[in-house]
Amino acid sequence: MSKFRSVKDIPDDEYVAPGSSLCAGCGSEIIARHMLKVLGKDTIFVNVPGCYAISTLFPFTAVKVPFVFAVFGSGAAVAQGIKDGLDILKEKRGINNERVNYKVVVYVGDGAAYDIGFQSTSAAIHRNLDFYFVCYDNEAYGNTGFQLSGATPYASRTSTSEPLGGSVGNVYRKKDIFEIWRAHRAPYIATISVSHITDMLNKFEKAKQFKGPKLFVALSICPTGWGASEEETVRIARLAVETGMWPLKEAVYGEVKHTFIPRRLKPVEEYLKTQRRFRHLFHPVRREEDIKKIQEEVESYWKRVWETELSK
Amino acid sequence: MYRFRFHGRGGQGIKTASRIFGTAAFLEGFYAQDFPMYGPERRGAPVAAYVRVSREPIVNRGYITHPDVVLVGDETLLFDPVADPLRGFSGGVLFVNTMTSPQIDISGELVTLDVTGLALEYIGRTSAISAGVGAIACKIAGFSKGTTMEAVERELEELGLSEELIDKNLRLAEESYRNVPSFDLDSLPSVRESDYIDTNVVHVKLDEGYVGVATIAKLGNTAVRRTGSWRILKPVVDLNKCTGCKICFAYCPDVSIYLGEDDKAYIDYDHCKGCLICSSVCPFKAITMVREVKTL
Amino acid sequence: MKSRKGMMLTGNATAAWGARVCDVDYIAAYPITPQSEIVELLSKWVTSGEMKAKFVEYESEHSMLAGAGAASLAGARAFTATSSQGLAYAFENLFAVSGWRAPMVMVNVSRGIGMPMTLQVDNTDVFSARDTGWIQLHAETCQEILDFIILAYRLGEDRRVLLPVIVNMDGFFLSFTREPVYIPSMEEVSEFLPPYEPPHGIAFSSEELAYAPTIILGHSYSYFKYQMHLSALKAKEVFYEIAREFGDLFGRYYGPIEKYMMDDADYAIVSMNSFTSIIKGAVHRLREEGYKVGVLKINMFRPFPNEEVAEALKGVKGVAVFDLNLSPGAGGIIYPELLRALYHVDERPKVVLDFVGGLGGKELTYGEIRFMVRKVAEALRDGGVSPYATLLFTEEDTRKMIADMEIAGKKWGGFR
Repeated sequence: MSKFRSVKDIPDDEYVAPGSSLCAGCGSEIIARHMLKVLGKDTIFVNVPGCYAISTLFPFTAVKVPFVFAVFGSGAAVAQGIKDGLDILKEKRGINNERVNYKVVVYVGDGAAYDIGFQSTSAAIHRNLDFYFVCYDNEAYGNTGFQLSGATPYASRTSTSEPLGGSVGNVYRKKDIFEIWRAHRAPYIATISVSHITDMLNKFEKAKQFKGPKLFVALSICPTGWGASEEETVRIARLAVETGMWPLKEAVYGEVKHTFIPRRLKPVEEYLKTQRRFRHLFHPVRREEDIKKIQEEVESYWKRVWETELSK
Repeated sequence: MYRFRFHGRGGQGIKTASRIFGTAAFLEGFYAQDFPMYGPERRGAPVAAYVRVSREPIVNRGYITHPDVVLVGDETLLFDPVADPLRGFSGGVLFVNTMTSPQIDISGELVTLDVTGLALEYIGRTSAISAGVGAIACKIAGFSKGTTMEAVERELEELGLSEELIDKNLRLAEESYRNVPSFDLDSLPSVRESDYIDTNVVHVKLDEGYVGVATIAKLGNTAVRRTGSWRILKPVVDLNKCTGCKICFAYCPDVSIYLGEDDKAYIDYDHCKGCLICSSVCPFKAITMVREVKTL
Repeated sequence: MKSRKGMMLTGNATAAWGARVCDVDYIAAYPITPQSEIVELLSKWVTSGEMKAKFVEYESEHSMLAGAGAASLAGARAFTATSSQGLAYAFENLFAVSGWRAPMVMVNVSRGIGMPMTLQVDNTDVFSARDTGWIQLHAETCQEILDFIILAYRLGEDRRVLLPVIVNMDGFFLSFTREPVYIPSMEEVSEFLPPYEPPHGIAFSSEELAYAPTIILGHSYSYFKYQMHLSALKAKEVFYEIAREFGDLFGRYYGPIEKYMMDDADYAIVSMNSFTSIIKGAVHRLREEGYKVGVLKINMFRPFPNEEVAEALKGVKGVAVFDLNLSPGAGGIIYPELLRALYHVDERPKVVLDFVGGLGGKELTYGEIRFMVRKVAEALRDGGVSPYATLLFTEEDTRKMIADMEIAGKKWGGFR
């Protein structure tokens, strides 16, 4: 049924080259690589300031498809202009080379998806733009030194939410971008994780059948900002899924379905303990209340999912 | 004026080393200026930091292209074309952090010490060399041990290190300080040379069409960059254990694993940055990590 | 479509016609007073099928400009229009579009940028965009709006230039004023304006490209930035070529500047945009009063026509610069531009004074225009030239202010 049943089915073609200056073990590279494997060479890659901009520093680029760099808040608006421009060349001027049929993907970090670029993204979804929007979510402004963003989870240390003087770190809740997008009734929305490659590949593949906005938010481990060793990237991402903190799901025209439903959740602290950004929850004293708060929120989420989806 | 340039890899604390030296110079009564290379610094990628020290007020700014003293925190950088730590170095003092005794053909003085080894011994981490390299710079400049230790303490306190960790770093600094010589910097030929670099200005003309438009026409050309030199640890595939399951291939962020004709995993050491995700995901424990043997 | 004779059109309607006869492929829109009529008309034409293009209303000028520029980079001829706050909101994308070297055209209907909010003209909006890499053409009449849009596409799309162009008109004074405009047919325009096929466009480039990579090192940044500058300078030379061709086809000839009664002038008033008409009118009366005055109108603000300005002012004794804009702390914005053009020539006016007037659409009276010339004449006679701008503010304005302040509950007795 699914096109990709195991990693054996991963397409061989690579549209990302090695040799970029991105940090060793960066999650955004894994996502970009597999995304382009499924979308293919006929893709225009729109990027904005953020970690992945490091892929393309003159005179080098790691991206092997046409690449357009936009200002921080304009990723989706630029996708709209490119797509419309190519469409009108086809429709009005009768130009029909292969490039006018290229897909457009906007690949941005959480700052651009949740915060500064949210307005333009919302508007592009509203206009039903036929494009892919993929957020590599490392839960902070990683490229500028890991400051708080709308995607930063409760209690995370960032360089603008230091756990000093008894503070818990970030006091705000992470925005639920999946639900915000879903309220737009986009044809296809999915969460993905660097740990679940075939799930990711199948979701990109499935998205192809829909005309209109296809939106992805990917948990993208940031060893540098999160304070974790590089080799842990995949293990941490898997723990995020298995503790229930990062649900894998999709929504087709608003109808939600989880693509992985854990029967039993691992305790969230197994995930939190892997990263220095949560270290103050455990050292020098254990902040029981805050850990409990995170655990309870995850449990109440899954209780609803178990009730609705498992009973079907 | 003495011009010091520090080279290292992102995450090694080279910037902190330069700040230790800058603060020590200030404490010694010098005019001082310290600053890091500005750019997207990435863990493992070559970075640099700069310090100017002078008895007179400093009326210069920006990168130091002609250093009197170069400190290299990672010896693999010595011949890295991007880092190019010997650029503009013409007869001063070169310090290299190394466990071997490298033969480097330079005019000037060569000082070496295995700071990485000392860091492992005193702190338990190979990458925490900032206090050591900072103290070595101080010793080379002939600063007193007292100011050196105070500078180390001040800078590490500012970073928010625990008292215990600062103590360990002080021991590393002391040991490093003890094991290198001092120099009379005023006697170095480069110091007596002018700080002014002679260049010729050319006439820039319009390049019509899209030559002058900022684009890249060779997509994927990062492949010519050898990010393999970033590695501190190196993944090694045991081909007897490898089943060709492709899991390591799937998770490699840097497209640096490929399957050979025998369907086994091979690592592209020219590009592998040494993140070791492959080793951690291998279900058959076929990929082990070994310390990168750094030879010159 | 048949060649059209004159029609009574507002500046806004003229701008829409400009986009229409240039056969633009893509219109990115966002409403703002006093510009909205332009995109409303275009929207109607596209919906009714009178115009073959794609019209998209964005959610902000910031996105609108990004989208228009991206469509232009893709290979579609793109058009947009904005004003004041909208231009300011889109500001960083002005740099993005010129950096992509996407030769779209944007009409700016000039209006002051709040706060204090105003709906009326103040050219500070468009002048604040002077350092963004866009070519700027400024219109005095509705006919110039149309002609400058046609010239703008030809100029920006020229392979020696490849830069976007702003065509500016003053809010209300042109945007809502009707006057006769002669509109050529699309066929006639197409003789002048070849199809847009950018050599670096996504759909047209010979190889696939990465556009606008981040540049870390100073030498490459300097090179590419300076290439934009050289291309912008080249635009003046290209403008002469195409303006001649335009004139031969349509009978109207333009240059980067326009000289009005300058041949024997002792005094010159330097002006831009719609208020130039008022000043031109006043010149006849001033000559009756014994002042030999001419008007130097600047059509092209970027690239700045240094040589033309210097040449036009050769032999002129004193100059008054009329600045319908204000850079607080400096003064008028045209003034220093003019001084740059003049400093390097030996034969230059002895006196150049700056006057700020017409702000917020305030009436420019004959008395104010005469005041400028008298001040120049006095400075020539008595010396005492100041680099600071003088605000053109009349006794009548003071009376109105006193009344307003009283109503607003503020104690102000006027100037003493």
